[in-house]
Amino acid sequence: MGYEPLVQQNPLRVLNMGRENNQMGLVMARAGLGKTALLVQIALDAILRGKRVIHVSIGESIEKTKTWYDDILQCILQEHTINRPHELIDMVARHRMIMTFKVAAFTRSRLEERLNDLILQDIFRPNCLIVDGLDFETTDREALEDIKNLMETMNMQAWFSAICHRGDTRISPTGVPAPCHELDDLFDMIILLKPERDATIQLDIIRNYGAQVEGGKGLLLDPTTMMVKEM
Amino acid sequence: MKKDLKKVRNIGISAHIDSGKTTLTERILYYTQRIHAIHEVRGKDGVGATMDSMELEKERGITIQSAATYCSWKDCDVNIIDTPGHVDFTIEVERALRVLDGAVLILCSVGGVQSQSITVNRQMTRYKVPRIAFINKCDRTGANPFRVMQQLRDKLDLNAVMIQLPIGLENDLQGMVDLVTMKAIYFDGDQGDDIRYEAIPFDMLEEAESRREELLDAVSMFSDELMEAMLEEADIPESMVHEAIRRGTLSLELTPVMIGSAYKNKGVQLLLDAVNAYLPCPTDVENTALDLDKDEAEIVVSNNPDDPLVALAFKLEDGRYGQLTYIRTYQGLIQKGDTIVNSRTGKKAKVGRLVRMHANEMEEIDGAGSGDIVALFGIDCASGDTFCGGGVNWSMSSMHVPAPVISLAIKPVDNKAQINMSKALNRFTKEDPTFKTFVDHETSETIISGMGELHLEVYVERMKREYNAEVEVGAPQVAYRETITQRAVFDYTHKKQTGGSGQYGRIGGFLEPLEEGEYEFVDNIVGGVIPREFISSCDKGFQKSLVKGILTGAPITGVKVTINDGSFHAVDSSDIAFQLAAIGGFKQGYSKAMPVIMEPIMKVAVEGPSEFQGAVMGSLNQRRGVIIGTFEEGAYTVVEAEMPLAEMFGYSTTLRSLTQGKAEFTMEFATYKQVPKGVAEELVKAFEAKKKDA
Repeated sequence: MGYEPLVQQNPLRVLNMGRENNQMGLVMARAGLGKTALLVQIALDAILRGKRVIHVSIGESIEKTKTWYDDILQCILQEHTINRPHELIDMVARHRMIMTFKVAAFTRSRLEERLNDLILQDIFRPNCLIVDGLDFETTDREALEDIKNLMETMNMQAWFSAICHRGDTRISPTGVPAPCHELDDLFDMIILLKPERDATIQLDIIRNYGAQVEGGKGLLLDPTTMMVKEM
Repeated sequence: MKKDLKKVRNIGISAHIDSGKTTLTERILYYTQRIHAIHEVRGKDGVGATMDSMELEKERGITIQSAATYCSWKDCDVNIIDTPGHVDFTIEVERALRVLDGAVLILCSVGGVQSQSITVNRQMTRYKVPRIAFINKCDRTGANPFRVMQQLRDKLDLNAVMIQLPIGLENDLQGMVDLVTMKAIYFDGDQGDDIRYEAIPFDMLEEAESRREELLDAVSMFSDELMEAMLEEADIPESMVHEAIRRGTLSLELTPVMIGSAYKNKGVQLLLDAVNAYLPCPTDVENTALDLDKDEAEIVVSNNPDDPLVALAFKLEDGRYGQLTYIRTYQGLIQKGDTIVNSRTGKKAKVGRLVRMHANEMEEIDGAGSGDIVALFGIDCASGDTFCGGGVNWSMSSMHVPAPVISLAIKPVDNKAQINMSKALNRFTKEDPTFKTFVDHETSETIISGMGELHLEVYVERMKREYNAEVEVGAPQVAYRETITQRAVFDYTHKKQTGGSGQYGRIGGFLEPLEEGEYEFVDNIVGGVIPREFISSCDKGFQKSLVKGILTGAPITGVKVTINDGSFHAVDSSDIAFQLAAIGGFKQGYSKAMPVIMEPIMKVAVEGPSEFQGAVMGSLNQRRGVIIGTFEEGAYTVVEAEMPLAEMFGYSTTLRSLTQGKAEFTMEFATYKQVPKGVAEELVKAFEAKKKDA
C-alpha cells in the first residue's frame, strides 16, 4: 500500500516487538517526554498492519486524543511522500476508536461491557487496546490482573502508559521505577523513555517477553513523531 | 442623544436547547419592568413567553429566531439578542454573535455542557465574545453546579471560576452565597422581587471561605493591586475584586460562573448585576470594518458618535408594516430623516421610522447613538449589508456562510399558494444566507436548500403559517458533488463546416485533481495556437461543464484544467466554437480521470444515558457511520461519529425509539467525502433511470 517507510521507521518495528497477541506492554516516562506520542505510534503501527485499535484515554477529551493522531500522522505525511494521503487518514479513522472515561468511570467491568457492545453488534473488533492516563499510584495489582485476564479472554494486546516521578527513587530489582516497581512481572514488555541532551529521546527496553534485557537498547527517537532518528 | 457608552451592554444569551434560555430572558424582562407578568414557555395561560413571538416557536417550545430586545437595569441600557438553541440554525447564532459585545452562556445544572454548548462556545471564541456562565435549573433533581463548572474547564477549556455558591440544591434551593461580598442572598415574594441579604449560614462558612480563596487566586492574575493586597493580607475592597473579574472576563481568560434557577426566580437579578459589572460596553471591544475604497483594507471602527455612521443590518423581519431591519451601529448617529447609503448596492435610503424592539412590541424613537441596536422600517436591504453615512464607504467584514448540504423540492398546491410561496421564499432568502432557493430547469420544480432537515422543515412550516402558502414537499435530497481522482489528458476538435459559416476549434490539455479549491484554469498556450481572444472562451466552456457532472448530474468541484495545445481556423473559429470545444474536451478528459461522487459528511454527537450506548453505536454503525469515539462520565455518555448526511434522514425518530426518548443528537456539517462504491453505483443507476424518464 506504499506505507513501508512508516512501518520501517516505527520504533517498535525496528526492535521487532509488539507483534504477539495477548501480551501487555508498558511505556514509562516522566511527564512530558512523549508517552502518549509513543502509544499513538504503537497504535498506528498496529493499524498499518491491519489491526483495529481501541484507544482508551482517561481524563482526556475525544477531541484532544484525536488531535494526537492527526498531528502525528501529519508529521509523518510531511516527511514521507505517500500516494493518496486521504486514504491513509481514512483508514486510520476506520481502524481506530477512541473511548474516553472520567477518572472514576474506568473499571474492568465497564471496559468489558463496552468491548462486548462493540463486538457482539459487530461494530468494531479490536485487536489492540491502548490505555493512556491510568493512574498507577492508585491502581492495585488485582485491578491490573483483572484487565490482563480480560485481554487474554478477548485475545487482545494491551499497552499502558505510566508516569514516574523524579523524586521517587523506588525501583524494582529489574530496574523498573515506581509506581510500577511492584507490578513489573505482569507486563511482557516495559519501555522507559529518557531525555537526551540533543533534544532527542532515548528508548530503553527493560523487559522483553518476560525476559530481562541487559542494559536495554539505546534507540534515539525524534521527539515530535517518536520515529527512529538514526539507526 | 449622546449617551454614555460605558452604560450600554449588547449581550447575547445562548445555550443548548432546553436549558431555559427563553425562561431566563422572560425573567430578565420582568425584573427590568419591560413586561408585567411572567408567561412560561409552555405555559398553561396560552400566552407563551414574550420572546417567542413566532407561533411556531410557541408551539414547539423552542426559539427559532433571535429577537432583539431592549431593557434597562439599574443605570445600564441592555440590548438582549435571544439566540436559537438548535444547531441547524447556527447561522442565526453566528450572526447574532457578530453584533454582540458580550454573552451569557447558559447551562443546565443537570445536563451540563452538551454538544451544542461546545459549538456555541467555539463560535464565541471565534468572534472573541467575552462571556459569563450561568448554571440554570439548580432546582432540578440531580442538579450539580460543581460538576458543570468542571465541565466548563474540561470540555470548553474555559478558566471557569465560581463567584457564587448555592444554598441548598434541587428542591431545597434557597438562595446563594456571593463570594465577592461574602453575603447570603435570598429571594422573597412570589416572583422573587425582594432580595434579602443575610450573613452566610454557619455550616457553609468554611466552604465559602475556601471557594473565595480559589476565586481570589484566579482573579488576582488580572490585577496587580489585588495581588499586592493579598500578599500584604490587607482588607480587600469589593470594587477591587469586581474590577479584577471584569478585566479577566474582557481578556477572555476568565469566565465567572453564576448559578440560579430562572424558573424559580432565583439569581436572575444578580446575573443582571454581573452583566453590568463584568461584560464589556461597546468601547471595550474592537470591531473592524473593510474600507471598500481602499481595496478592503481593515479599519477599526471608532464608536465615536461624531464620526460618520457605520451600521450593520444583521436581521430582517417581515412584520405587519413591511420589512423591519435590525441594525447595530458601530459609530456615528442615526436619526430620523437621515440619508444612509447601503455600501453593498450603493443605493441611498432615507431613514423613516426608527424603533427600539421589545420582542413583538415596539417603541418609537427619534435617533440612536453608536453601539446601539435598533430597528428601521421601510429600508430595502439583505441581512449582512452595511449602511454608511456621509463620506465613508465601509463594509463590516463579511460573515462566514457555510454552503447548504440538503435540498427539498417543493410544489405549491394551488395558484394562490404559488404567489404566496414566491413572496415567502423571497423573504427567507433575504433573511437567512444559508437558505437558498432556485428552480430546477429540467424538472421545473422549485428547490429549497439549507443546513439540515429541521432547518428546511421550519421554513416550510413558516410558509404555511405566515404566508398561507400550502406546499407539497418532496423527499430531501443530499447535495452530492463530483470530482476527479487522477490526471487525464484530452484533445478535442469541435468542427461544423458544412455550408454557411462554420465552427472550428481544437483544444488540448489535461485535467488534474485539485486538493483545495473548486476550480482552477491554467493557460499554457504558446505560439498563439489558440488566439488570445479565445482563451477566455475556453475558460467559460470549462466552467459550464462543471455545473453538471456525468455520473449523477451533481456539480463538479476540485478540478484543475490546463490547456497547452490547440488550433484554429481563420474564419470559422469563434467564441462559441471554442466554448463547445472546451465542453467537449472536458467531457473527454473527465471520463478518463476516474470521476467519483462525493457526499456531505456530518459530525454527529449523540448524548444520553450510558445504558443505551451500545444501541446508539449500533444504529450509527448501520448508517455507514464511522464512530470516532465515546466519552463517558458517570451515567452519561456522548458518542461522536462522522455520518453521511444521506443516512441521517429520520434518525431522530429512530433514536427516540431506541432510547425511550432519553437521548438526543446534534449534527453539524464536517466535510465532503467519497461515496463508497456500492452506494455510488446505486446513485448512478438512479440518475440514469431518471434521465430516461425525462
